[in-house]
Amino acid sequence: VTIGLTHYLALAGAIFVTGLVGVLTRRNTLILFMCIELMLSAANLVFAAFSRQWGDASGHVFVLMSFAVAAAEAAIGLAILVEIHRLRRTVNVDDLKTLME
Amino acid sequence: MIEGIVFWLCGGLMLLGGIMTVVSRSAVGAAIWLIFAFLNAAGLFALLSAPFLAVLQVLVYAGAIMVLFLFVIMMLHGPVLGAELRPQGRWVWPAVALPAASLLISGAILLGGGGGGGFRAAAPAGFGRAERVAALLLDRYLLAFELISVVLLVAIVGAVALGLAPRRQS
Repeated sequence: VTIGLTHYLALAGAIFVTGLVGVLTRRNTLILFMCIELMLSAANLVFAAFSRQWGDASGHVFVLMSFAVAAAEAAIGLAILVEIHRLRRTVNVDDLKTLME
Repeated sequence: MIEGIVFWLCGGLMLLGGIMTVVSRSAVGAAIWLIFAFLNAAGLFALLSAPFLAVLQVLVYAGAIMVLFLFVIMMLHGPVLGAELRPQGRWVWPAVALPAASLLISGAILLGGGGGGGFRAAAPAGFGRAERVAALLLDRYLLAFELISVVLLVAIVGAVALGLAPRRQS
Protein backbone atom coordinates (compact mmCIF):
# COMPACT_ATOMS: atom_id res chain seq x y z
CA VAL A 1 0.00 0.00 0.00
CA THR A 2 1.42 3.40 -0.95
CA ILE A 3 1.62 5.75 1.99
CA GLY A 4 -0.80 8.62 1.55
CA LEU A 5 -2.48 11.44 3.39
CA THR A 6 -4.83 9.07 5.21
CA HIS A 7 -1.96 7.23 6.89
CA TYR A 8 -0.52 10.46 8.23
CA LEU A 9 -3.94 11.59 9.46
CA ALA A 10 -4.50 8.27 11.24
CA LEU A 11 -1.05 8.44 12.85
CA ALA A 12 -1.51 12.07 13.90
CA GLY A 13 -4.92 11.22 15.34
CA ALA A 14 -3.44 8.38 17.37
CA ILE A 15 -0.65 10.62 18.69
CA PHE A 16 -3.11 13.41 19.51
CA VAL A 17 -5.32 11.00 21.43
CA THR A 18 -2.27 9.69 23.29
CA GLY A 19 -1.49 13.23 24.44
CA LEU A 20 -5.13 13.82 25.34
CA VAL A 21 -5.24 10.68 27.46
CA GLY A 22 -2.08 11.88 29.19
CA VAL A 23 -3.69 15.22 30.00
CA LEU A 24 -6.78 13.44 31.36
CA THR A 25 -4.96 10.89 33.52
CA ARG A 26 -1.68 12.41 34.71
CA ARG A 27 -1.62 14.81 37.65
CA ASN A 28 1.96 16.07 37.40
CA THR A 29 1.93 19.49 35.72
CA LEU A 30 5.30 18.88 34.04
CA ILE A 31 3.98 15.76 32.34
CA LEU A 32 0.77 17.60 31.43
CA PHE A 33 2.92 20.14 29.59
CA MET A 34 4.74 17.36 27.78
CA CYS A 35 1.42 15.83 26.70
CA ILE A 36 0.33 19.22 25.35
CA GLU A 37 3.57 19.39 23.34
CA LEU A 38 2.76 15.93 22.00
CA MET A 39 -0.68 17.12 20.84
CA LEU A 40 0.89 20.16 19.17
CA SER A 41 3.31 17.86 17.41
CA ALA A 42 0.44 15.78 16.04
CA ALA A 43 -1.14 18.95 14.66
CA ASN A 44 2.17 19.89 13.03
CA LEU A 45 2.26 16.51 11.35
CA VAL A 46 -1.20 17.12 9.88
CA PHE A 47 -0.09 20.53 8.56
CA ALA A 48 2.97 19.02 6.88
CA ALA A 49 0.95 16.14 5.42
CA PHE A 50 -1.68 18.44 3.89
CA SER A 51 1.10 20.67 2.61
CA ARG A 52 2.61 17.69 0.85
CA GLN A 53 -0.79 16.62 -0.49
CA TRP A 54 -1.48 19.95 -2.18
CA GLY A 55 2.11 20.82 -3.07
CA ASP A 56 1.78 24.15 -1.24
CA ALA A 57 4.42 25.12 1.32
CA SER A 58 2.01 27.35 3.29
CA GLY A 59 1.52 24.50 5.73
CA HIS A 60 5.22 24.65 6.53
CA VAL A 61 4.83 28.31 7.49
CA PHE A 62 2.00 27.37 9.85
CA VAL A 63 4.21 24.71 11.42
CA LEU A 64 6.87 27.36 11.99
CA MET A 65 4.27 29.52 13.77
CA SER A 66 3.30 26.52 15.85
CA PHE A 67 6.96 25.98 16.80
CA ALA A 68 7.22 29.58 17.97
CA VAL A 69 3.98 29.36 19.96
CA ALA A 70 5.08 26.07 21.53
CA ALA A 71 8.40 27.61 22.54
CA ALA A 72 6.68 30.64 24.07
CA GLU A 73 4.16 28.41 25.84
CA ALA A 74 6.89 26.19 27.28
CA ALA A 75 8.96 29.15 28.47
CA ILE A 76 6.06 30.96 30.17
CA GLY A 77 4.43 27.79 31.47
CA LEU A 78 7.62 26.48 33.02
CA ALA A 79 8.41 29.89 34.55
CA ILE A 80 4.94 29.92 36.15
CA LEU A 81 5.49 26.33 37.28
CA VAL A 82 8.77 27.21 38.98
CA GLU A 83 7.06 30.10 40.75
CA ILE A 84 4.15 27.87 41.87
CA HIS A 85 6.61 25.31 43.17
CA ARG A 86 8.44 28.03 45.08
CA LEU A 87 5.21 29.20 46.75
CA ARG A 88 3.27 25.97 47.22
CA ARG A 89 5.90 23.21 47.15
CA THR A 90 3.83 21.15 44.75
CA VAL A 91 3.26 20.71 41.03
CA ASN A 92 0.31 18.34 41.39
CA VAL A 93 -2.74 19.81 39.68
CA ASP A 94 -5.04 18.31 42.32
CA ASP A 95 -3.37 20.48 44.96
CA LEU A 96 -3.79 23.67 42.92
CA LYS A 97 -7.52 24.20 43.40
CA THR A 98 -7.55 27.62 45.05
CA LEU A 99 -9.68 29.13 42.30
CA MET A 100 -12.25 26.33 42.64
CA GLU A 101 -12.79 26.69 46.36
CA MET B 1 8.25 0.64 -0.75
CA ILE B 2 11.11 2.24 1.14
CA GLU B 3 8.76 5.12 1.96
CA GLY B 4 6.33 2.69 3.56
CA ILE B 5 9.07 1.11 5.68
CA VAL B 6 10.31 4.50 6.91
CA PHE B 7 6.76 5.68 7.60
CA TRP B 8 5.82 2.65 9.70
CA LEU B 9 9.19 2.72 11.51
CA CYS B 10 9.19 6.44 12.35
CA GLY B 11 5.44 6.56 12.92
CA GLY B 12 5.40 3.49 15.14
CA LEU B 13 8.38 4.68 17.15
CA MET B 14 6.86 8.15 17.53
CA LEU B 15 3.62 6.62 18.81
CA LEU B 16 5.65 4.41 21.15
CA GLY B 17 7.50 7.47 22.43
CA GLY B 18 4.21 9.26 23.03
CA ILE B 19 2.69 6.32 24.88
CA MET B 20 5.80 5.90 27.02
CA THR B 21 5.69 9.63 27.81
CA VAL B 22 2.15 9.22 29.09
CA VAL B 23 2.77 6.09 31.18
CA SER B 24 6.30 6.89 32.36
CA ARG B 25 6.75 6.74 36.12
CA SER B 26 9.22 9.61 36.39
CA ALA B 27 9.26 13.07 34.84
CA VAL B 28 12.81 12.60 33.52
CA GLY B 29 11.80 9.37 31.82
CA ALA B 30 8.79 11.09 30.25
CA ALA B 31 11.01 13.89 28.93
CA ILE B 32 13.51 11.46 27.40
CA TRP B 33 10.72 9.49 25.72
CA LEU B 34 9.23 12.72 24.41
CA ILE B 35 12.59 13.68 22.87
CA PHE B 36 12.60 10.24 21.23
CA ALA B 37 9.11 10.90 19.83
CA PHE B 38 10.17 14.31 18.50
CA LEU B 39 13.22 12.85 16.76
CA ASN B 40 10.94 10.39 15.00
CA ALA B 41 8.61 13.26 14.08
CA ALA B 42 11.63 14.87 12.41
CA GLY B 43 12.03 11.68 10.38
CA LEU B 44 8.37 11.91 9.34
CA PHE B 45 8.85 15.55 8.31
CA ALA B 46 11.81 14.52 6.16
CA LEU B 47 9.64 11.83 4.60
CA LEU B 48 7.00 14.48 3.84
CA SER B 49 9.53 16.44 1.72
CA ALA B 50 9.95 19.02 4.48
CA PRO B 51 13.69 18.95 5.25
CA PHE B 52 13.64 22.46 6.75
CA LEU B 53 10.93 21.47 9.23
CA ALA B 54 12.82 18.27 10.04
CA VAL B 55 15.93 20.24 10.99
CA LEU B 56 13.89 22.76 12.98
CA GLN B 57 12.04 19.97 14.76
CA VAL B 58 15.36 18.63 16.04
CA LEU B 59 16.79 22.07 16.85
CA VAL B 60 13.75 23.71 18.42
CA TYR B 61 11.73 20.84 19.89
CA ALA B 62 14.21 18.11 20.71
CA GLY B 63 16.86 20.73 21.41
CA ALA B 64 15.62 23.95 22.95
CA ILE B 65 12.18 23.09 24.36
CA MET B 66 13.08 19.70 25.80
CA VAL B 67 16.33 21.03 27.30
CA LEU B 68 14.20 23.68 29.01
CA PHE B 69 11.92 20.91 30.32
CA LEU B 70 14.85 18.86 31.60
CA PHE B 71 16.37 21.98 33.17
CA VAL B 72 13.15 22.69 35.10
CA ILE B 73 12.80 19.02 36.08
CA MET B 74 16.32 19.08 37.52
CA MET B 75 15.56 22.36 39.31
CA LEU B 76 12.37 21.06 40.93
CA HIS B 77 14.14 18.16 42.55
CA GLY B 78 12.50 16.14 45.25
CA PRO B 79 9.19 14.40 45.76
CA VAL B 80 7.28 16.64 43.34
CA LEU B 81 8.57 14.45 40.54
CA GLY B 82 7.19 11.29 42.13
CA ALA B 83 5.06 9.22 39.86
CA GLU B 84 1.33 9.23 40.37
CA LEU B 85 -0.16 6.80 37.91
CA ARG B 86 -3.48 6.78 39.67
CA PRO B 87 -6.11 7.89 37.16
CA GLN B 88 -8.85 10.06 38.55
CA GLY B 89 -12.16 8.19 38.62
CA ARG B 90 -14.03 10.81 36.66
CA TRP B 91 -11.64 10.65 33.68
CA VAL B 92 -11.09 6.91 33.37
CA TRP B 93 -13.91 6.38 30.88
CA PRO B 94 -12.83 8.99 28.35
CA ALA B 95 -9.23 7.83 28.79
CA VAL B 96 -10.29 4.34 27.72
CA ALA B 97 -12.95 5.28 25.19
CA LEU B 98 -10.97 7.90 23.23
CA PRO B 99 -8.07 5.65 22.14
CA ALA B 100 -10.50 2.83 21.38
CA ALA B 101 -12.65 5.11 19.20
CA SER B 102 -9.59 6.58 17.47
CA LEU B 103 -8.17 3.12 16.77
CA LEU B 104 -11.53 1.88 15.49
CA ILE B 105 -12.08 4.81 13.13
CA SER B 106 -8.55 4.86 11.69
CA GLY B 107 -8.49 1.09 11.39
CA ALA B 108 -11.85 1.04 9.59
CA ILE B 109 -10.73 3.72 7.13
CA LEU B 110 -7.34 2.17 6.43
CA LEU B 111 -8.62 -1.41 6.17
CA GLY B 112 -11.57 -0.24 4.11
CA GLY B 113 -9.13 0.66 1.35
CA GLY B 114 -9.13 4.41 1.99
CA GLY B 115 -5.97 6.35 1.25
CA GLY B 116 -4.22 3.59 -0.63
CA GLY B 117 -3.24 5.69 -3.59
CA GLY B 118 -0.50 7.76 -2.04
CA PHE B 119 -0.35 11.51 -2.36
CA ARG B 120 -2.09 13.47 -5.10
CA ALA B 121 1.07 14.31 -7.00
CA ALA B 122 4.82 14.09 -6.61
CA ALA B 123 6.30 16.95 -4.60
CA PRO B 124 7.59 19.79 -6.80
CA ALA B 125 11.37 20.10 -7.08
CA GLY B 126 12.88 21.87 -4.08
CA PHE B 127 9.59 21.58 -2.14
CA GLY B 128 9.94 22.33 1.55
CA ARG B 129 13.50 23.58 1.37
CA ALA B 130 14.49 26.59 3.46
CA GLU B 131 14.47 29.08 0.59
CA ARG B 132 10.95 28.10 -0.50
CA VAL B 133 9.58 28.43 3.03
CA ALA B 134 11.47 31.68 3.56
CA ALA B 135 10.07 33.12 0.32
CA LEU B 136 6.54 32.50 1.61
CA LEU B 137 7.37 33.62 5.14
CA LEU B 138 8.83 36.96 4.06
CA ASP B 139 6.24 37.67 1.41
CA ARG B 140 2.72 36.36 1.83
CA TYR B 141 2.98 35.72 5.58
CA LEU B 142 5.12 38.72 6.50
CA LEU B 143 2.59 40.12 8.98
CA ALA B 144 2.24 36.77 10.75
CA PHE B 145 6.03 36.48 10.83
CA GLU B 146 6.38 39.89 12.49
CA LEU B 147 3.57 39.14 14.96
CA ILE B 148 5.08 35.82 15.98
CA SER B 149 8.34 37.61 16.75
CA VAL B 150 6.38 39.97 18.99
CA VAL B 151 4.86 36.93 20.71
CA LEU B 152 8.33 35.53 21.34
CA LEU B 153 9.54 38.88 22.66
CA VAL B 154 6.59 39.11 25.06
CA ALA B 155 7.27 35.53 26.16
CA ILE B 156 10.92 36.37 26.89
CA VAL B 157 9.96 39.46 28.88
CA GLY B 158 7.26 37.52 30.72
CA ALA B 159 9.57 34.65 31.62
CA VAL B 160 12.24 37.06 32.90
CA ALA B 161 9.63 39.02 34.88
CA LEU B 162 8.33 35.80 36.46
CA GLY B 163 11.85 34.69 37.27
CA LEU B 164 12.72 38.03 38.86
CA ALA B 165 9.48 38.33 40.86
CA PRO B 166 10.27 39.52 44.38
CA ARG B 167 9.80 37.05 47.21
CA ARG B 168 6.33 38.08 48.29
CA GLN B 169 5.94 36.06 51.47
CA SER B 170 9.46 35.54 52.72
